[in-house]
Amino acid sequence: MSTPLAPALAGKRVLICVGSGGVGKTTAAAALALRASADGRSSLVCTIDPAKRLANSLGLTALGNAETRVPATALEPLGIQPRAPLYAMMLDMKQTWDELIARVASPEQRERILSNRFYQSLSTALAGSQEYISMEKLWELRRSSNYELIVLDTPPTAHALDFLDAPNRVLDFLDNDAAKFLLTPALKAGKLGMSLFNRGGYVMRGLAKFTGTEMLQELSNFLLAISSLNEGFRERARGVRQLLEDPNTGFVLVTSPHPERMDEAIHFHKMLKQHRMEVVSLVVNRVHPMPTPSLWEDAATLTPSRRAKVEETLREQQVMAEQDHAGIAQLQAACPGVPIVQVPRFAMDVHDISALWRTGRYLVGDESHG
Amino acid sequence: MAGLLDKRLWIVSGKGGVGKSTVAAALALRSARAGKRTLVCEVNTQERVSRFLERPEAGPEIRLLEENLWAVNVRPQEAMREYGLMVLRFETLYKTVFENRLSRQFLRFIPSLQELVLLGKIMFHLQEKLPDGRWRFDTIVMDAPATGHAISFLSVPQVLIQTVPPGPMAREAQKMRDLLVDPSVTAAVLVALPEEMPVNEALELHAALRDKVSLRTHAAVLNQSFPERFTGADLEALQGHPELLAVAQAHHDRATQAVLAGTKLERNLHAPVYPVPRLFTPEFGRKAIEQVMEHLEPLVTGAK
Repeated sequence: MSTPLAPALAGKRVLICVGSGGVGKTTAAAALALRASADGRSSLVCTIDPAKRLANSLGLTALGNAETRVPATALEPLGIQPRAPLYAMMLDMKQTWDELIARVASPEQRERILSNRFYQSLSTALAGSQEYISMEKLWELRRSSNYELIVLDTPPTAHALDFLDAPNRVLDFLDNDAAKFLLTPALKAGKLGMSLFNRGGYVMRGLAKFTGTEMLQELSNFLLAISSLNEGFRERARGVRQLLEDPNTGFVLVTSPHPERMDEAIHFHKMLKQHRMEVVSLVVNRVHPMPTPSLWEDAATLTPSRRAKVEETLREQQVMAEQDHAGIAQLQAACPGVPIVQVPRFAMDVHDISALWRTGRYLVGDESHG
Repeated sequence: MAGLLDKRLWIVSGKGGVGKSTVAAALALRSARAGKRTLVCEVNTQERVSRFLERPEAGPEIRLLEENLWAVNVRPQEAMREYGLMVLRFETLYKTVFENRLSRQFLRFIPSLQELVLLGKIMFHLQEKLPDGRWRFDTIVMDAPATGHAISFLSVPQVLIQTVPPGPMAREAQKMRDLLVDPSVTAAVLVALPEEMPVNEALELHAALRDKVSLRTHAAVLNQSFPERFTGADLEALQGHPELLAVAQAHHDRATQAVLAGTKLERNLHAPVYPVPRLFTPEFGRKAIEQVMEHLEPLVTGAK
């Protein structure tokens, strides 16, 4: 019984794994790319801050946006010959921002921007800037490379909104005609407009109370420098948007069976729908299996003290399995019509290539849970 | 070992999904029961603490949950307004300055301003006094954001001191920093699970708080620990029952993992680690929080 992820791996050109932090997004992304390459499509998985052992298992050691081919030796334990190459990379946020500025700015603008301390905050601290830059990188990769499939892992967002809003937020931010209009005359004169009759000046003085005049002046300089890049940014953002809405792009919404993570997933799903983006599947990771009746029967044959220990453990497993089951039912009710794929909790964390492969088997439906 | 009750600001952080809010709720409840006026602050997130304690949502206004216990969800918009009014003193002035499109663009761009006002509000309540001169809140429990965000959130004062020209923002930042780094006022409690990534994140958080914020880790909580149950002899005896052996082995492995995680945390943090067992309650509410609270008793009182 194959899941909707099987045709997606065969047909989509971009898959984006989204979800809260700590639900196993990176693992899901790597497992999907691995499977696609095994089935014959050249694939790239673009990860963000993967666990060290996971990175090692993919032969990933180089940071900083280098796409590296996963070596045959790393895939040996699987005992299969992938029919197409698999590539992996770790996204470096700061470097990606710098590259972007280098692309859209003239050389003298570039220096001015890169050395400005407000740029530092844009590239690292502005809410949504990580999300924006990961989308931007995806678009760049999709435009300039020949992988048949790119699977993107995304930053752990505190708020689902950040992710879809980010491009708009960053753009909106850069699109500061109002700032230009109000600031340019004053800046050209070398000071902020302080005339009482100039509403802008009045506002600026109020703000200066808050920040100090010097900082405002420096910020204005930066905004003017960056606003000249607007057109370049805007064009790219349109490209990103189109890519996200493209029928060859799909989202995989990853969650864990925790009630809180589920709430976040439901919210995420709503957002994606509102943005007309296709959710290929929900993936619920680390689901606890329900102990089978035969286990209970078997336990009843043990000596009393062992029986007590085993039965207590089975009872605990049952509670966890019931919790997960109830959570998944709620998730299904909240996202009607969206397929849910379950991946069971393995005895050990998924960090090696064999466990990745096994995860992939559940994702496409070779094996199923529950 | 001093207990948390000797400190006034308890900062709880760790990797996403490790149970920070659970621990924050349990600690706040315990502080309130010790007769301390306690405020639990969540930072711009979906509220959890009030729900865990089975009380109505607090929202952005400080609200009494029960005797000695208040809660608030600190959100940027309201915090900005409070701060803006403090600086500008007049509502109309605030509106003119802060509520036009141009200013919004500027404000959004001022590095760390949002974090500054969020943290600022919490620090303001830490110093707030009642008319009779006592603290308005004896204890403030901060349910801080997850690792990466927590580091940038708590380093804001330090960063601003280093980057912002002298002025109102820099002065505020200096005041906050002094409180954060004072070990007689502030204690950081790091929460982890007995798994590789959460433990590593706790270590990373510990190093970053030490180096960037000069904030020392007071203790760690190892949440959802599995207690040891199956001995080697048990596993031996189950050889003839392969399926049950797998169940017992999995439990045994998780218990072993908890021991290893505890050791790794203790060695690297040079701080005590308090295990909280995984609870098997169908509903995670007040009862569960009270159970967690009992396990954290030595952390709160400092008793061995």
